[in-house]
Amino acid sequence: MARLMVSRRRFLRSAALTGGLLAGGALTSACQALPFRLPGAGPTRLTVLTHWGSQPLKDVLEPLFREYEKQNPNVQIEHQTVEFGELLKRITTGRLGGVAPDIYHFYNLWLPEFVGSDILHTPPTEVVTEIRQGYSPSTVEGVTYRGQVWGFPTEVNTYLLISNKQLLKEAGIEKPPATWDELRALAPKATRKEGGKVVQIGFLLIKGWDSGVVHPWTALLWSNNGEYVAKDYSRVLFNEPPGIETLELELDLIKSGAADLGFTMDDFVAGKVAMTIMANWWGAALRKGLPGGIDNVLVTPIPANAARGGRSTTLQYNWLWGVDKSSQNRDLAWKFITWLNTPRDGGSSPMGIFLTTGLNAIPARTSDQQAHAARLGDSFVKPFVESLRSSRTEPIIPGAQEIKTVLQKQIEAAWFGQKSAREALDTAAQEANRILAEKRR
Amino acid sequence: MTPAPIILQTLIRARRRRLGARALAGYAFVAPSLLFLLIFALGPLLFTFYVSLHEWNMLTPVTAMPFRGLENYRYLLFEDPLFRQTFLNTLAFALGNVTLSTVFGLGVALLLNTRVAGRTIWRAIYFLPYVTSSVAVAIVWANLYHPSYGLLNGLLELLQQPPQRFLASLEQAMPSVIAVAVWHSVGYYMVLFLAGLQSIPAELYEAARVDGADPWRSFWLITLPLLRPTLLFVIVINTLASLQVFDLVFILTNGGPVNATTTLVLHMYRTAFEFTRMGRATAMAMLLFVVVFAITLIQLHLLRERE
Repeated sequence: MARLMVSRRRFLRSAALTGGLLAGGALTSACQALPFRLPGAGPTRLTVLTHWGSQPLKDVLEPLFREYEKQNPNVQIEHQTVEFGELLKRITTGRLGGVAPDIYHFYNLWLPEFVGSDILHTPPTEVVTEIRQGYSPSTVEGVTYRGQVWGFPTEVNTYLLISNKQLLKEAGIEKPPATWDELRALAPKATRKEGGKVVQIGFLLIKGWDSGVVHPWTALLWSNNGEYVAKDYSRVLFNEPPGIETLELELDLIKSGAADLGFTMDDFVAGKVAMTIMANWWGAALRKGLPGGIDNVLVTPIPANAARGGRSTTLQYNWLWGVDKSSQNRDLAWKFITWLNTPRDGGSSPMGIFLTTGLNAIPARTSDQQAHAARLGDSFVKPFVESLRSSRTEPIIPGAQEIKTVLQKQIEAAWFGQKSAREALDTAAQEANRILAEKRR
Repeated sequence: MTPAPIILQTLIRARRRRLGARALAGYAFVAPSLLFLLIFALGPLLFTFYVSLHEWNMLTPVTAMPFRGLENYRYLLFEDPLFRQTFLNTLAFALGNVTLSTVFGLGVALLLNTRVAGRTIWRAIYFLPYVTSSVAVAIVWANLYHPSYGLLNGLLELLQQPPQRFLASLEQAMPSVIAVAVWHSVGYYMVLFLAGLQSIPAELYEAARVDGADPWRSFWLITLPLLRPTLLFVIVINTLASLQVFDLVFILTNGGPVNATTTLVLHMYRTAFEFTRMGRATAMAMLLFVVVFAITLIQLHLLRERE
């Protein structure tokens, strides 16, 4: 084997050359990857992050962005999209990497983390005034944290009792239950077996995702005069007697056979479930798949517990536009968001057009609801719009997402017979109070 | 000084320079890989450990993380019931998946190592699931398992058997997930075992036949001992992969029902990205690293060939 002779000088020269080439290549790649603009060169780019990435949604939303660019040639809108499940990750990693978008559209439950970490820019006073005047009090509450309004609300969703008209009629049920006693009595009537196998159930308990479990449960809790959390956010209250009664209502439905944990939302769409509590955005799936279509659906208020003097109350949750504090274009960002959410010629705002025609959602702005009254007036959507007046916003508390997941798992543990209602809620409350205490630290 | 020592010293110095140059050349050749390992393996590992000693939601700068010492570890080991449950779930999954996919992989390899008709096609068929994306596999199996319209309950109905809840059942969910994992990976281990089987000299089997050994004895006394290195490799990599299972569980059950199928990595993912508790999630990652490392060492010790 030939001897390998490498002098120190030759090695150091080669290493320096290799290192230099590598560094140069890395620098070039970095420059190409990062948004690099010379100041004053061309229009200002505003990056907008949403989870509206499907082409049908982009086909309605992005022309609105182009319209704004035509009216404001000094601004260029770059629309970035990710799936909902990736949205929070994108916001956090974007900030870590120094490429946070200027504007993001986010779920209001994330407000405590965002505000606590000081990543949101405080809206200008005129924007706050515009929001307070243009939206219902419960919607304004949904975008308020620590007394401050943080952005323009966009879509709003509430939960109501959704019933299959045909199945109720076949079961001899004249109208959907309005009270808990009626629900207990009527739901088993709509349950059917064939050859020992349950082929139809009276009531669907949605399982497997936090909002599906907790949102309907919270609406029932409030309709039982119960509370989720203390006003000062010092502790949760959902394990008090009204909460236990609410979970016991669900357990009664399981025990009577009216609810079967083997059934899913797909079964409702397939016409095998008589009733459930769900949100307005589910309308698209029902229009497409339910036998008889949307005309076969009845939407009524959440059953209330008359025994406790409860009144039907539903839960509302919101999305909102916010501006990142690190944005170099905060004024331009607020100007764009305001344009997006301001009515045009006394009619609908651009956002209202997108939410109703593109997303088939309920716009949060009151004037948009009026401008699109015809579209929002169908038999399915109208009750949800009307329920906004008496709805309460989902509790926006520190650690809200984590607490919701803990509550979901404990409620499901009770459904599956692992714990009693009291044990499940006490366990959830213990964990929730620990989270609240940690977040206060 | 006499010329001889001077010459000797010169020769020694020259030899040292050549050895030094060789060593330098060696370092130069491994430098890129070493750099890659330092930047993309050791660096993140050290940063992960550093973050695990802090509280961080990824929204604040790294420099502003409050220091918590071993608090995250203390909470996970002594207070968090979900950590214990997910750890046991992960062990259960690993035990089931490693055992079944090793046994089935070896069984199929033994069958396809014989002169069976169309064995090339059979090998390809068994390997096909492995080359399919695990996400696609999970989505299809979620539909097969559906309590109402799934194919499996349809078959049970044809056989006049009661329908099962599969993924919607506390008791059946984990075995159902394991079944999918085994189905997905058995082809890969079959290929590894086939390679090992084909390296065993045929003369050994002939000699055993001549000595009157039946197939079972041949298997226990010839095949299994000579397959030991392959077996060790399969068990170790299968264990490593099983302890870090995420995608199948995420798609099939999302950890449900309740937390029956929530694995450690899924719990870690949720803690980091849904609850924005990166400090606690990295502490979980460090604990998983220790467990995986320990189990691998134990397996290597138990299964290595005795000299």
